[in-house]
Amino acid sequence: MMYSTIREMLVTTEAKYGDGDAVRYKVGKDKIETKTYTQLKQDSERFSNLLKALGEKGNHIAMVGMSSYPWIVSYLGTVNSGSVAVPLDVALPAEELCELVDRADATVLVLDEMRADVMAVVKERCPKLKHLISMQKEVSDENIVSFWQAVNEQPFEFECEIEPDKLCTIMFTSGTTGKSKGVMLTQRNLAENATCLDMKIPERSVILSVLPIHHAYCLSMDILKGISLGSVICLNDSLIRVAKNIKLFQPNIILMVPLMIETMAKKLEEAAGLPPEIVKREVFGEQFHTIYSGGAYLNPDYIDLFAKYGVSVLQGYGMTECAPVISATVSWNIKKDSVGQLLPNCEAKVVDNELWVRGSSVMMGYYQMPDKTEEALKDGWLLTGDLGYVDEEGFIYLTGRKKNLIITKNGENVSPEELENKIGSERIVQEILVREKNSVIEAEIFPDMEYAEKTGVCDIKAVLQQLIDTYNQGAPSYKKIYSLIVRETEFEKTPSKKIKRY
Amino acid sequence: MFEKLVEVIGNYVEVEGKDIHPESRFMEDLGFTSFDFMSMLGELEDELDIEIDQQEAANIRTVGEATAYLEKLKG
Repeated sequence: MMYSTIREMLVTTEAKYGDGDAVRYKVGKDKIETKTYTQLKQDSERFSNLLKALGEKGNHIAMVGMSSYPWIVSYLGTVNSGSVAVPLDVALPAEELCELVDRADATVLVLDEMRADVMAVVKERCPKLKHLISMQKEVSDENIVSFWQAVNEQPFEFECEIEPDKLCTIMFTSGTTGKSKGVMLTQRNLAENATCLDMKIPERSVILSVLPIHHAYCLSMDILKGISLGSVICLNDSLIRVAKNIKLFQPNIILMVPLMIETMAKKLEEAAGLPPEIVKREVFGEQFHTIYSGGAYLNPDYIDLFAKYGVSVLQGYGMTECAPVISATVSWNIKKDSVGQLLPNCEAKVVDNELWVRGSSVMMGYYQMPDKTEEALKDGWLLTGDLGYVDEEGFIYLTGRKKNLIITKNGENVSPEELENKIGSERIVQEILVREKNSVIEAEIFPDMEYAEKTGVCDIKAVLQQLIDTYNQGAPSYKKIYSLIVRETEFEKTPSKKIKRY
Repeated sequence: MFEKLVEVIGNYVEVEGKDIHPESRFMEDLGFTSFDFMSMLGELEDELDIEIDQQEAANIRTVGEATAYLEKLKG
Protein backbone atom coordinates (compact mmCIF):
# COMPACT_ATOMS: atom_id res chain seq x y z
CA MET A 1 0.00 0.00 0.00
CA MET A 2 1.40 3.41 -0.94
CA TYR A 3 1.27 6.24 1.59
CA SER A 4 1.84 9.94 1.02
CA THR A 5 2.52 10.93 4.62
CA ILE A 6 4.55 9.34 7.37
CA ARG A 7 1.71 9.80 9.83
CA GLU A 8 -0.68 7.73 7.64
CA MET A 9 1.88 4.94 7.72
CA LEU A 10 2.20 4.86 11.49
CA VAL A 11 -1.53 5.26 12.17
CA THR A 12 -2.45 2.43 9.78
CA THR A 13 0.17 0.03 11.13
CA GLU A 14 -0.72 0.83 14.74
CA ALA A 15 -4.38 0.09 14.02
CA LYS A 16 -3.36 -3.26 12.56
CA TYR A 17 -0.51 -4.38 14.84
CA GLY A 18 -0.86 -2.17 17.94
CA ASP A 19 0.23 -4.85 20.42
CA GLY A 20 2.96 -6.20 18.15
CA ASP A 21 6.61 -5.33 18.72
CA ALA A 22 7.74 -2.30 16.73
CA VAL A 23 11.25 -1.68 18.07
CA ARG A 24 13.65 -4.00 19.87
CA TYR A 25 16.92 -2.78 21.37
CA LYS A 26 19.55 -3.92 23.82
CA VAL A 27 19.78 -2.79 27.39
CA GLY A 28 23.00 -4.03 28.93
CA LYS A 29 24.90 -6.86 27.34
CA ASP A 30 22.29 -9.32 26.11
CA LYS A 31 18.93 -8.15 27.43
CA ILE A 32 16.38 -7.01 24.87
CA GLU A 33 13.74 -4.38 25.58
CA THR A 34 10.78 -3.93 23.24
CA LYS A 35 8.24 -1.26 22.38
CA THR A 36 4.98 -2.01 20.63
CA TYR A 37 3.43 -0.05 17.77
CA THR A 38 0.91 1.45 20.20
CA GLN A 39 3.74 2.61 22.47
CA LEU A 40 5.66 4.01 19.49
CA LYS A 41 2.63 5.96 18.28
CA GLN A 42 1.80 7.23 21.75
CA ASP A 43 5.38 8.22 22.60
CA SER A 44 5.80 10.03 19.28
CA GLU A 45 2.52 11.88 19.86
CA ARG A 46 3.73 12.83 23.33
CA PHE A 47 6.85 14.22 21.68
CA SER A 48 4.64 16.19 19.24
CA ASN A 49 2.78 17.60 22.26
CA LEU A 50 6.10 18.46 23.88
CA LEU A 51 7.09 20.50 20.82
CA LYS A 52 3.74 22.27 21.00
CA ALA A 53 4.15 22.95 24.72
CA LEU A 54 7.62 24.38 24.11
CA GLY A 55 6.18 26.62 21.39
CA GLU A 56 8.33 24.88 18.78
CA LYS A 57 5.70 23.07 16.70
CA GLY A 58 6.40 23.75 13.03
CA ASN A 59 10.03 24.68 13.67
CA HIS A 60 13.23 22.84 12.81
CA ILE A 61 14.21 20.12 15.27
CA ALA A 62 17.71 18.64 15.01
CA MET A 63 18.59 15.19 16.33
CA VAL A 64 22.03 13.78 17.00
CA GLY A 65 22.55 10.26 18.26
CA MET A 66 23.09 6.59 17.53
CA SER A 67 20.06 4.52 16.48
CA SER A 68 17.83 4.43 19.52
CA TYR A 69 14.17 4.37 20.51
CA PRO A 70 14.23 8.04 21.67
CA TRP A 71 15.76 9.00 18.29
CA ILE A 72 12.91 7.30 16.39
CA VAL A 73 10.29 8.81 18.72
CA SER A 74 11.81 12.28 18.23
CA TYR A 75 11.85 11.89 14.45
CA LEU A 76 8.25 10.65 14.19
CA GLY A 77 7.00 13.15 16.77
CA THR A 78 8.63 15.95 14.79
CA VAL A 79 7.45 15.09 11.28
CA ASN A 80 3.99 14.01 12.48
CA SER A 81 3.43 17.41 14.07
CA GLY A 82 4.14 19.36 10.89
CA SER A 83 7.61 20.26 12.14
CA VAL A 84 10.88 19.70 10.26
CA ALA A 85 13.37 17.05 11.39
CA VAL A 86 17.09 17.61 10.87
CA PRO A 87 18.93 14.30 11.44
CA LEU A 88 22.68 14.91 11.85
CA ASP A 89 25.71 12.61 11.87
CA VAL A 90 26.62 11.76 15.47
CA ALA A 91 30.25 11.18 14.42
CA LEU A 92 30.92 14.73 13.21
CA PRO A 93 33.28 16.97 15.20
CA ALA A 94 31.48 19.32 17.63
CA GLU A 95 32.32 22.40 15.60
CA GLU A 96 30.81 20.96 12.42
CA LEU A 97 27.69 19.75 14.22
CA CYS A 98 27.15 23.20 15.72
CA GLU A 99 27.58 24.75 12.28
CA LEU A 100 24.92 22.45 10.80
CA VAL A 101 22.50 23.01 13.70
CA ASP A 102 22.88 26.72 13.08
CA ARG A 103 22.66 26.53 9.28
CA ALA A 104 19.52 24.40 9.53
CA ASP A 105 17.91 27.08 11.75
CA ALA A 106 17.14 24.46 14.38
CA THR A 107 15.45 25.77 17.52
CA VAL A 108 15.50 22.43 19.34
CA LEU A 109 18.29 19.86 19.51
CA VAL A 110 17.65 16.31 20.73
CA LEU A 111 21.03 14.96 21.71
CA ASP A 112 22.60 11.70 22.83
CA GLU A 113 24.71 12.25 25.96
CA MET A 114 27.63 10.49 24.28
CA ARG A 115 28.14 13.91 22.68
CA ALA A 116 28.65 15.77 25.94
CA ASP A 117 31.21 17.89 24.06
CA VAL A 118 28.44 19.24 21.83
CA MET A 119 26.09 19.70 24.77
CA ALA A 120 28.66 21.93 26.46
CA VAL A 121 29.03 24.40 23.60
CA VAL A 122 26.02 24.19 21.30
CA LYS A 123 23.84 26.85 22.93
CA GLU A 124 26.65 29.35 22.84
CA ARG A 125 27.54 28.56 19.22
CA CYS A 126 23.95 28.43 17.92
CA PRO A 127 22.05 31.57 18.96
CA LYS A 128 18.79 30.39 17.33
CA LEU A 129 18.75 27.21 19.42
CA LYS A 130 16.26 27.54 22.29
CA HIS A 131 15.95 24.05 23.77
CA LEU A 132 18.39 21.24 24.35
CA ILE A 133 16.83 17.82 25.03
CA SER A 134 18.99 15.01 26.39
CA MET A 135 17.99 11.47 25.40
CA GLN A 136 19.42 10.01 28.64
CA LYS A 137 19.26 12.67 31.36
CA GLU A 138 16.74 11.60 34.00
CA VAL A 139 15.71 14.97 35.42
CA SER A 140 15.41 18.28 33.59
CA ASP A 141 17.29 21.33 34.82
CA GLU A 142 17.32 24.95 33.70
CA ASN A 143 19.59 24.25 30.74
CA ILE A 144 18.77 20.76 29.58
CA VAL A 145 15.40 19.05 29.20
CA SER A 146 15.20 15.36 30.09
CA PHE A 147 13.66 13.54 27.10
CA TRP A 148 11.73 10.96 29.12
CA GLN A 149 10.68 13.29 31.92
CA ALA A 150 9.31 15.84 29.45
CA VAL A 151 7.72 13.28 27.11
CA ASN A 152 6.01 11.39 29.94
CA GLU A 153 4.40 14.60 31.20
CA GLN A 154 2.55 15.04 27.88
CA PRO A 155 -0.78 13.54 26.80
CA PHE A 156 -0.51 10.89 24.08
CA GLU A 157 -3.17 12.06 21.69
CA PHE A 158 -2.07 14.47 18.98
CA GLU A 159 -4.16 15.36 15.97
CA CYS A 160 -2.61 17.27 13.14
CA GLU A 161 -3.40 17.71 9.47
CA ILE A 162 -0.26 16.79 7.55
CA GLU A 163 0.29 18.25 4.11
CA PRO A 164 2.10 15.72 1.88
CA ASP A 165 4.00 18.35 -0.07
CA LYS A 166 5.32 20.30 2.89
CA LEU A 167 8.95 20.16 3.97
CA CYS A 168 9.43 17.54 6.71
CA THR A 169 13.12 16.59 6.79
CA ILE A 170 16.44 18.27 6.01
CA MET A 171 19.33 15.83 5.50
CA PHE A 172 22.86 17.07 5.02
CA THR A 173 24.97 15.59 2.28
CA SER A 174 28.51 16.37 1.17
CA GLY A 175 28.82 18.42 -1.98
CA THR A 176 31.64 19.08 -4.38
CA THR A 177 31.94 22.64 -3.13
CA GLY A 178 33.18 21.32 0.20
CA LYS A 179 30.19 22.77 2.05
CA SER A 180 27.57 20.18 2.92
CA LYS A 181 24.12 20.80 1.48
CA GLY A 182 20.80 20.42 3.30
CA VAL A 183 18.54 18.26 1.13
CA MET A 184 14.91 19.32 1.67
CA LEU A 185 12.48 16.39 1.58
CA THR A 186 8.72 16.45 1.87
CA GLN A 187 6.39 13.95 3.50
CA ARG A 188 5.48 12.67 0.05
CA ASN A 189 9.15 12.35 -1.01
CA LEU A 190 9.90 10.03 1.91
CA ALA A 191 6.59 8.20 2.33
CA GLU A 192 6.14 7.35 -1.35
CA ASN A 193 9.80 6.38 -1.71
CA ALA A 194 9.44 3.91 1.13
CA THR A 195 6.12 2.45 0.02
CA CYS A 196 5.58 2.80 -3.75
CA LEU A 197 7.24 -0.52 -4.59
CA ASP A 198 5.72 -3.73 -3.29
CA MET A 199 8.84 -5.82 -2.73
CA LYS A 200 6.77 -8.74 -1.43
CA ILE A 201 8.44 -8.47 1.96
CA PRO A 202 6.18 -10.35 4.39
CA GLU A 203 4.56 -8.09 6.99
CA ARG A 204 5.98 -8.45 10.52
CA SER A 205 9.41 -9.41 9.15
CA VAL A 206 12.27 -8.85 11.60
CA ILE A 207 14.76 -6.24 10.36
CA LEU A 208 18.13 -5.59 11.99
CA SER A 209 19.07 -1.95 11.45
CA VAL A 210 22.85 -1.61 11.32
CA LEU A 211 23.38 1.58 9.29
CA PRO A 212 23.67 5.09 10.77
CA ILE A 213 20.13 6.35 11.33
CA HIS A 214 20.80 9.85 10.00
CA HIS A 215 21.40 8.35 6.54
CA ALA A 216 18.50 8.57 4.12
CA TYR A 217 18.90 4.89 3.18
CA CYS A 218 18.54 3.72 6.78
CA LEU A 219 15.81 6.18 7.71
CA SER A 220 13.72 5.47 4.64
CA MET A 221 14.22 1.73 4.19
CA ASP A 222 14.82 0.40 7.73
CA ILE A 223 12.60 2.72 9.70
CA LEU A 224 9.88 4.08 7.39
CA LYS A 225 9.48 1.03 5.15
CA GLY A 226 9.75 -1.09 8.29
CA ILE A 227 6.88 0.79 9.92
CA SER A 228 4.75 0.61 6.77
CA LEU A 229 5.10 -3.20 6.81
CA GLY A 230 4.51 -3.54 10.53
CA SER A 231 8.03 -4.92 10.83
CA VAL A 232 9.94 -5.54 14.03
CA ILE A 233 12.84 -3.08 13.82
CA CYS A 234 15.85 -4.22 15.86
CA LEU A 235 18.53 -1.66 16.63
CA ASN A 236 22.18 -2.64 16.42
CA ASP A 237 24.12 -0.98 19.25
CA SER A 238 27.60 -0.96 17.72
CA LEU A 239 29.32 -1.84 14.46
CA ILE A 240 31.62 -3.99 16.58
CA ARG A 241 28.72 -6.27 17.46
CA VAL A 242 26.88 -6.84 14.17
CA ALA A 243 27.70 -10.58 14.10
CA LYS A 244 26.69 -11.00 17.75
CA ASN A 245 23.50 -9.00 17.30
CA ILE A 246 22.47 -11.08 14.30
CA LYS A 247 22.50 -14.10 16.65
CA LEU A 248 20.69 -12.18 19.38
CA PHE A 249 17.89 -10.57 17.33
CA GLN A 250 17.58 -13.32 14.67
CA PRO A 251 16.51 -11.04 11.81
CA ASN A 252 15.05 -12.04 8.45
CA ILE A 253 16.44 -9.01 6.66
CA ILE A 254 19.36 -6.58 6.95
CA LEU A 255 20.15 -3.48 4.89
CA MET A 256 23.87 -3.18 4.37
CA VAL A 257 26.46 -1.18 2.51
CA PRO A 258 28.94 -3.12 0.31
CA LEU A 259 31.74 -2.77 2.85
CA MET A 260 29.75 -4.84 5.35
CA ILE A 261 28.77 -7.40 2.74
CA GLU A 262 32.45 -7.90 1.86
CA THR A 263 33.35 -8.57 5.49
CA MET A 264 30.42 -10.97 5.90
CA ALA A 265 31.63 -12.75 2.75
CA LYS A 266 35.02 -13.29 4.40
CA LYS A 267 33.30 -14.90 7.37
CA LEU A 268 31.37 -17.21 5.05
CA GLU A 269 34.46 -18.16 3.08
CA GLU A 270 36.38 -18.85 6.27
CA ALA A 271 34.02 -21.74 6.88
CA ALA A 272 33.88 -22.81 3.24
CA GLY A 273 34.74 -26.45 4.05
CA LEU A 274 31.48 -26.95 6.00
CA PRO A 275 28.07 -27.63 4.44
CA PRO A 276 26.50 -24.27 3.36
CA GLU A 277 23.35 -24.80 5.45
CA ILE A 278 25.45 -25.17 8.61
CA VAL A 279 27.50 -22.08 7.78
CA LYS A 280 24.33 -20.09 7.12
CA ARG A 281 22.81 -21.25 10.40
CA GLU A 282 25.94 -20.28 12.35
CA VAL A 283 26.46 -16.87 10.74
CA PHE A 284 22.89 -15.65 10.07
CA GLY A 285 20.48 -18.15 11.61
CA GLU A 286 17.96 -20.29 9.75
CA GLN A 287 15.34 -17.51 9.64
CA PHE A 288 17.54 -15.11 7.66
CA HIS A 289 16.91 -14.66 3.94
CA THR A 290 17.74 -11.24 2.44
CA ILE A 291 20.39 -8.52 2.41
CA TYR A 292 19.47 -5.27 0.67
CA SER A 293 22.61 -3.51 -0.57
CA GLY A 294 22.80 0.19 -1.20
CA GLY A 295 24.87 3.29 -0.63
CA ALA A 296 27.66 2.30 -3.01
CA TYR A 297 28.43 -0.12 -5.83
CA LEU A 298 28.53 -3.82 -4.98
CA ASN A 299 30.56 -6.28 -7.03
CA PRO A 300 27.92 -8.72 -8.43
CA ASP A 301 30.18 -11.69 -7.56
CA TYR A 302 28.98 -11.34 -3.98
CA ILE A 303 25.42 -12.03 -5.11
CA ASP A 304 26.49 -15.51 -6.28
CA LEU A 305 28.55 -16.14 -3.18
CA PHE A 306 25.68 -15.41 -0.80
CA ALA A 307 23.23 -17.36 -2.96
CA LYS A 308 25.29 -20.49 -2.21
CA TYR A 309 24.30 -20.04 1.43
CA GLY A 310 20.64 -19.40 0.67
CA VAL A 311 20.85 -15.63 1.18
CA SER A 312 19.56 -13.21 -1.48
CA VAL A 313 21.54 -10.02 -2.00
CA LEU A 314 19.41 -7.41 -3.74
CA GLN A 315 21.15 -4.31 -4.98
CA GLY A 316 19.62 -0.85 -5.18
CA TYR A 317 20.71 2.65 -6.09
CA GLY A 318 19.80 6.09 -4.92
CA MET A 319 20.83 9.39 -3.43
CA THR A 320 19.61 11.53 -0.56
CA GLU A 321 18.21 14.03 -3.11
CA CYS A 322 15.76 11.30 -4.20
CA ALA A 323 14.64 10.33 -0.68
CA PRO A 324 16.80 8.17 -1.45
CA VAL A 325 15.92 5.10 -3.59
CA ILE A 326 15.92 5.50 -7.37
CA SER A 327 16.08 1.83 -8.34
CA ALA A 328 15.76 -1.44 -6.50
CA THR A 329 16.10 -5.13 -7.26
CA VAL A 330 13.26 -7.46 -6.47
CA SER A 331 13.88 -11.15 -5.89
CA TRP A 332 11.78 -12.33 -8.84
CA ASN A 333 13.43 -10.12 -11.47
CA ILE A 334 17.19 -9.85 -11.12
CA LYS A 335 19.76 -8.51 -13.58
CA LYS A 336 23.03 -8.91 -11.76
CA ASP A 337 25.02 -6.18 -13.49
CA SER A 338 22.31 -3.61 -12.98
CA VAL A 339 21.60 -1.61 -9.82
CA GLY A 340 17.93 -2.48 -10.06
CA GLN A 341 14.79 -1.32 -11.75
CA LEU A 342 13.40 2.21 -11.49
CA LEU A 343 10.89 2.64 -8.70
CA PRO A 344 7.28 3.03 -9.93
CA ASN A 345 7.27 6.69 -8.81
CA CYS A 346 10.41 7.50 -10.78
CA GLU A 347 11.25 8.05 -14.46
CA ALA A 348 14.71 8.46 -15.93
CA LYS A 349 16.45 9.79 -19.01
CA VAL A 350 20.07 10.04 -20.07
CA VAL A 351 21.51 13.41 -21.06
CA ASP A 352 25.13 13.48 -22.25
CA ASN A 353 25.61 10.07 -20.59
CA GLU A 354 24.40 11.47 -17.26
CA LEU A 355 21.37 9.94 -15.60
CA TRP A 356 18.50 12.37 -14.88
CA VAL A 357 15.51 11.26 -12.77
CA ARG A 358 12.08 12.72 -12.08
CA GLY A 359 9.23 11.69 -9.80
CA SER A 360 7.51 12.12 -6.46
CA SER A 361 10.67 11.42 -4.46
CA VAL A 362 12.81 14.15 -5.98
CA MET A 363 13.73 16.76 -3.34
CA MET A 364 12.38 20.28 -3.10
CA GLY A 365 15.94 21.63 -3.31
CA TYR A 366 18.89 22.47 -1.06
CA TYR A 367 18.12 24.45 2.07
CA GLN A 368 19.03 28.10 1.55
CA MET A 369 21.19 27.30 -1.46
CA PRO A 370 19.19 28.45 -4.50
CA ASP A 371 22.24 28.38 -6.78
CA LYS A 372 23.03 24.78 -5.89
CA THR A 373 19.37 23.85 -6.30
CA GLU A 374 19.34 25.38 -9.76
CA GLU A 375 22.42 23.34 -10.70
CA ALA A 376 20.85 20.09 -9.45
CA LEU A 377 17.27 20.45 -10.70
CA LYS A 378 16.24 21.24 -14.29
CA ASP A 379 12.49 21.41 -14.98
CA GLY A 380 11.80 18.89 -12.23
CA TRP A 381 14.59 16.53 -13.33
CA LEU A 382 17.29 15.69 -10.80
CA LEU A 383 20.77 15.57 -12.32
CA THR A 384 22.28 12.62 -10.50
CA GLY A 385 25.91 13.23 -11.45
CA ASP A 386 26.13 9.52 -12.25
CA LEU A 387 26.98 8.24 -15.68
CA GLY A 388 24.94 5.32 -16.91
CA TYR A 389 22.03 4.08 -18.95
CA VAL A 390 18.57 2.55 -18.59
CA ASP A 391 17.39 -0.51 -20.51
CA GLU A 392 13.94 -1.03 -22.03
CA GLU A 393 12.66 -2.63 -18.79
CA GLY A 394 13.79 0.30 -16.65
CA PHE A 395 16.89 -1.39 -15.23
CA ILE A 396 19.69 1.06 -14.45
CA TYR A 397 23.36 0.42 -15.25
CA LEU A 398 25.99 2.76 -13.83
CA THR A 399 29.28 3.40 -15.56
CA GLY A 400 30.93 6.06 -13.41
CA ARG A 401 30.72 9.29 -11.44
CA LYS A 402 30.51 12.64 -13.08
CA LYS A 403 31.55 14.60 -10.08
CA ASN A 404 34.68 14.31 -7.99
CA LEU A 405 32.76 13.22 -4.95
CA ILE A 406 34.33 10.24 -3.24
CA ILE A 407 31.78 7.58 -2.35
CA THR A 408 33.44 5.31 0.19
CA LYS A 409 32.56 1.63 0.29
CA ASN A 410 30.30 2.16 3.27
CA GLY A 411 28.31 4.68 1.30
CA GLU A 412 29.59 7.83 2.97
CA ASN A 413 30.09 10.82 0.73
CA VAL A 414 33.33 12.70 1.13
CA SER A 415 34.06 15.89 -0.69
CA PRO A 416 37.78 15.93 -1.58
CA GLU A 417 37.70 19.72 -1.78
CA GLU A 418 36.60 19.94 1.84
CA LEU A 419 39.66 17.98 3.02
CA GLU A 420 41.93 19.78 0.58
CA ASN A 421 40.79 23.14 1.92
CA LYS A 422 41.36 22.10 5.53
CA ILE A 423 44.86 20.70 5.09
CA GLY A 424 45.85 23.06 2.27
CA SER A 425 45.52 26.05 4.57
CA GLU A 426 48.73 24.95 6.36
CA ARG A 427 51.71 27.02 5.30
CA ILE A 428 53.91 24.04 4.44
CA VAL A 429 51.34 22.67 1.98
CA GLN A 430 51.70 24.29 -1.40
CA GLU A 431 49.36 22.01 -3.34
CA ILE A 432 47.19 19.10 -2.30
CA LEU A 433 44.97 16.58 -4.01
CA VAL A 434 42.67 14.22 -2.11
CA ARG A 435 41.25 11.11 -3.75
CA GLU A 436 40.15 7.56 -3.08
CA LYS A 437 42.65 4.79 -3.67
CA ASN A 438 42.19 1.11 -2.84
CA SER A 439 39.12 1.96 -0.74
CA VAL A 440 40.90 4.48 1.50
CA ILE A 441 41.30 8.22 1.24
CA GLU A 442 44.71 9.32 0.05
CA ALA A 443 46.29 12.77 0.08
CA GLU A 444 49.04 13.75 -2.33
CA ILE A 445 50.91 16.87 -1.27
CA PHE A 446 53.45 19.09 -2.98
CA PRO A 447 55.15 20.86 -0.08
CA ASP A 448 56.35 24.46 -0.03
CA MET A 449 60.08 23.64 -0.20
CA GLU A 450 61.18 27.23 0.28
CA TYR A 451 59.14 27.55 3.47
CA ALA A 452 60.49 24.23 4.74
CA GLU A 453 64.04 25.39 4.16
CA LYS A 454 63.48 28.78 5.82
CA THR A 455 61.95 27.22 8.89
CA GLY A 456 64.61 24.53 9.15
CA VAL A 457 62.32 21.57 8.44
CA CYS A 458 64.53 18.59 7.53
CA ASP A 459 62.05 15.71 7.46
CA ILE A 460 59.21 17.15 5.38
CA LYS A 461 57.35 13.85 5.17
CA ALA A 462 57.27 13.55 8.97
CA VAL A 463 55.92 17.08 9.33
CA LEU A 464 53.23 16.45 6.73
CA GLN A 465 52.30 13.12 8.35
CA GLN A 466 51.97 14.97 11.66
CA LEU A 467 49.62 17.43 9.96
CA ILE A 468 47.51 14.58 8.62
CA ASP A 469 47.50 12.86 12.04
CA THR A 470 46.28 16.06 13.70
CA TYR A 471 43.54 16.44 11.08
CA ASN A 472 42.55 12.75 11.50
CA GLN A 473 42.11 13.15 15.25
CA GLY A 474 39.17 15.49 14.75
CA ALA A 475 37.69 13.79 11.69
CA PRO A 476 34.98 11.10 11.56
CA SER A 477 36.41 7.74 10.48
CA TYR A 478 35.10 7.94 6.92
CA LYS A 479 36.87 11.27 6.40
CA LYS A 480 40.21 10.14 7.79
CA ILE A 481 43.21 10.15 5.44
CA TYR A 482 45.02 6.83 5.49
CA SER A 483 47.68 7.34 2.88
CA LEU A 484 50.10 10.19 2.19
CA ILE A 485 52.20 10.74 -0.91
CA VAL A 486 54.73 13.57 -0.99
CA ARG A 487 55.47 14.97 -4.47
CA GLU A 488 58.72 16.49 -5.61
CA THR A 489 57.15 18.38 -8.49
CA GLU A 490 54.07 20.53 -8.91
CA PHE A 491 50.83 18.94 -10.10
CA GLU A 492 49.86 19.17 -13.73
CA LYS A 493 47.30 21.96 -14.18
CA THR A 494 44.30 22.68 -16.37
CA PRO A 495 44.33 25.86 -18.50
CA SER A 496 42.46 27.62 -15.69
CA LYS A 497 45.31 26.65 -13.33
CA LYS A 498 43.32 24.05 -11.44
CA ILE A 499 45.01 20.79 -10.52
CA LYS A 500 44.11 18.06 -13.00
CA ARG A 501 42.31 15.43 -10.97
CA TYR A 502 42.59 12.53 -13.33
CA MET B 1 48.04 -10.66 23.44
CA PHE B 2 50.07 -9.82 20.31
CA GLU B 3 50.08 -13.50 19.26
CA LYS B 4 46.34 -13.75 19.83
CA LEU B 5 45.78 -10.68 17.70
CA VAL B 6 47.98 -12.03 14.89
CA GLU B 7 45.89 -15.21 14.91
CA VAL B 8 42.59 -13.31 14.62
CA ILE B 9 43.96 -10.93 11.95
CA GLY B 10 44.47 -14.01 9.78
CA ASN B 11 40.68 -14.49 9.70
CA TYR B 12 40.24 -11.18 7.89
CA VAL B 13 43.23 -10.64 5.60
CA GLU B 14 45.63 -12.86 3.77
CA VAL B 15 48.84 -11.78 5.48
CA GLU B 16 51.29 -14.26 6.99
CA GLY B 17 51.90 -14.04 10.72
CA LYS B 18 55.60 -13.29 10.20
CA ASP B 19 54.68 -10.17 8.23
CA ILE B 20 52.57 -8.71 11.04
CA HIS B 21 54.49 -6.39 13.38
CA PRO B 22 53.47 -4.06 16.22
CA GLU B 23 53.96 -1.09 13.88
CA SER B 24 51.83 -2.62 11.08
CA ARG B 25 48.87 -0.38 10.32
CA PHE B 26 45.56 -2.23 9.94
CA MET B 27 44.25 -0.37 6.92
CA GLU B 28 47.32 0.84 5.07
CA ASP B 29 49.65 -2.12 5.64
CA LEU B 30 47.40 -5.10 6.30
CA GLY B 31 44.52 -4.21 3.96
CA PHE B 32 41.72 -4.09 6.52
CA THR B 33 38.53 -2.20 5.73
CA SER B 34 36.98 -0.22 8.58
CA PHE B 35 34.23 -2.81 8.93
CA ASP B 36 36.74 -5.71 8.94
CA PHE B 37 38.40 -3.95 11.85
CA MET B 38 35.13 -3.48 13.76
CA SER B 39 34.15 -7.11 13.17
CA MET B 40 37.53 -8.32 14.39
CA LEU B 41 37.06 -6.32 17.60
CA GLY B 42 33.66 -7.97 18.03
CA GLU B 43 35.32 -11.38 17.74
CA LEU B 44 37.94 -10.38 20.31
CA GLU B 45 35.24 -9.07 22.68
CA ASP B 46 33.80 -12.59 22.82
CA GLU B 47 37.10 -14.42 23.02
CA LEU B 48 38.60 -12.19 25.70
CA ASP B 49 35.33 -11.45 27.52
CA ILE B 50 35.82 -7.69 27.42
CA GLU B 51 33.70 -4.73 26.29
CA ILE B 52 35.15 -2.45 23.63
CA ASP B 53 34.07 1.14 23.12
CA GLN B 54 33.52 1.84 19.41
CA GLN B 55 34.66 5.45 19.66
CA GLU B 56 37.85 4.61 21.52
CA ALA B 57 38.57 1.81 19.09
CA ALA B 58 38.23 4.19 16.14
CA ASN B 59 41.52 5.84 17.16
CA ILE B 60 43.52 2.60 16.92
CA ARG B 61 45.73 2.45 13.84
CA THR B 62 48.45 -0.14 14.48
CA VAL B 63 48.66 -3.70 15.77
CA GLY B 64 50.80 -2.43 18.66
CA GLU B 65 48.15 0.13 19.66
CA ALA B 66 45.47 -2.56 19.50
CA THR B 67 47.59 -4.90 21.65
CA ALA B 68 48.08 -2.20 24.30
CA TYR B 69 44.38 -1.28 24.27
CA LEU B 70 43.25 -4.90 24.63
CA GLU B 71 45.79 -5.55 27.40
CA LYS B 72 44.49 -2.49 29.27
CA LEU B 73 40.89 -3.75 29.01
CA LYS B 74 41.84 -7.24 30.05
CA GLY B 75 43.61 -5.73 33.08
